[in-house]
Amino acid sequence: MANRCSLLRRQSKAPRVLNLLDTTHQALLLLFSGDPDLWGIVAISLSVSLIAMLIATPLGVGCGYLLASVDFPGRRVLIVTIQGLLASPTVVVGLMLYLLLSRQGVFGQLHLLFTQTAMVIGQVLIALPVLIAFSLSAIQGADPRARETALALGASDSRVAWTMLVEVRFAIMAAVCNAFGRVISEIGCSLMVGGNIAGVTRNIPTAIALETSKGDFAQGIALGIVLLVVALGVNSAFAFFQGGARR
Amino acid sequence: MSLLALSTLSKAFGERQLFAIEQLTLRAGESYALTGENGAGKSTLLRIMAGLEVPDHGAGRYAARNFDWKPYPDWLRREIIYVHQQPYLFHTSVADNIAYGLRARGIDRREREQRVAQAVVWARLEHLRDTPPQKLSGGEKQRVALARAWVLTPKVLLLDEPTANLDAESRAQTLALVREFCGPQTTAVIACHDRDVIELPHMRRLHLAGGRMATEGNTESGE
Repeated sequence: MANRCSLLRRQSKAPRVLNLLDTTHQALLLLFSGDPDLWGIVAISLSVSLIAMLIATPLGVGCGYLLASVDFPGRRVLIVTIQGLLASPTVVVGLMLYLLLSRQGVFGQLHLLFTQTAMVIGQVLIALPVLIAFSLSAIQGADPRARETALALGASDSRVAWTMLVEVRFAIMAAVCNAFGRVISEIGCSLMVGGNIAGVTRNIPTAIALETSKGDFAQGIALGIVLLVVALGVNSAFAFFQGGARR
Repeated sequence: MSLLALSTLSKAFGERQLFAIEQLTLRAGESYALTGENGAGKSTLLRIMAGLEVPDHGAGRYAARNFDWKPYPDWLRREIIYVHQQPYLFHTSVADNIAYGLRARGIDRREREQRVAQAVVWARLEHLRDTPPQKLSGGEKQRVALARAWVLTPKVLLLDEPTANLDAESRAQTLALVREFCGPQTTAVIACHDRDVIELPHMRRLHLAGGRMATEGNTESGE
């Protein structure tokens, strides 16, 4: 009896395993056939996230440096708030932004809702706390003699700032990788303010969610593979540079 | 001729008064060994002179020009160079470390390279020119820091225990560089316990004890 049950179990599992292999096979075919819809989604995802990172990185790193270097009233409260925002759900950021950009919102007249610009703004808001908090921590953790040496050698304030950022460059790069990983894979905000419009605001995470809900696993898996490759590529590049510098 | 004059200079950490110096005058081209027990405030005094710390009270005058401690003037930063007891080297090559201050002063590339080459020879660092600092010994780091200061031809050089924690050979090499550096073009103040530094030729002595600056030997400057 037990043998029969296990045989039935094995028989019922076999088609599923085959389906998964088939789906992965179809996904790879989709990827390598250069499917325009699929690669269009990848292009939207990458361009939105890269633009967001280009805006957020100097802003976040600059704010992190200032918070670490300049004392002002309310600084401690601001730091705690930013550290708290690290854990903010992306869908809440999306909701807030939606309320601001919707027709009745403060910025409603700008007609940005359901555009790539709105997605970029959302991703900038998601990346900023990560970049600020990590940069702040990197600068605070740097050897205080670095700053003093730069000052003692006659560097201007801007050169001192640049020197400090160069000295903690790997921590800053880790912050950028972390923030990029967060924005490229976030779905909540992109869905809320982008609207998942095909060819316009449909990015990898929103497309995976949609295709999976429709039962089209092949495209979901293909996009998932791209997402993994991008994440691995970014982290490998970081590890390569870090390793090269230590040799 | 008086180059740097400090008056009614005081510094306290919390309740503890570190020092209160009525008058300290450094004359142009002279070298001073600043001695005192550990914790007497030698490093703090050097750091105040370099603008890395702010005194609680005191007036400063450099080359007949009064200055404020906060903000410490940029023009004065270019005249006075401070070297840490354990120097910090930026995470780049030895040559780039030496070039740092020249870059900060906007010296053009050709002249910069020329002066760095001279400094490398002066500090006997030819074989370490392109070495990353994390691969240098304590003595080599000290020589890079001295070369980095020397290349800027500072009017005032502040050294914080340059020979401390070095082995005999590194100590001798560092001492030789310090001796060469302390020429008539530079006013040097060297915080130290090392007798060999204190007894360098033409070295005058400042002694910080009980929060007061005392003068000894042939020192003419002081309170």
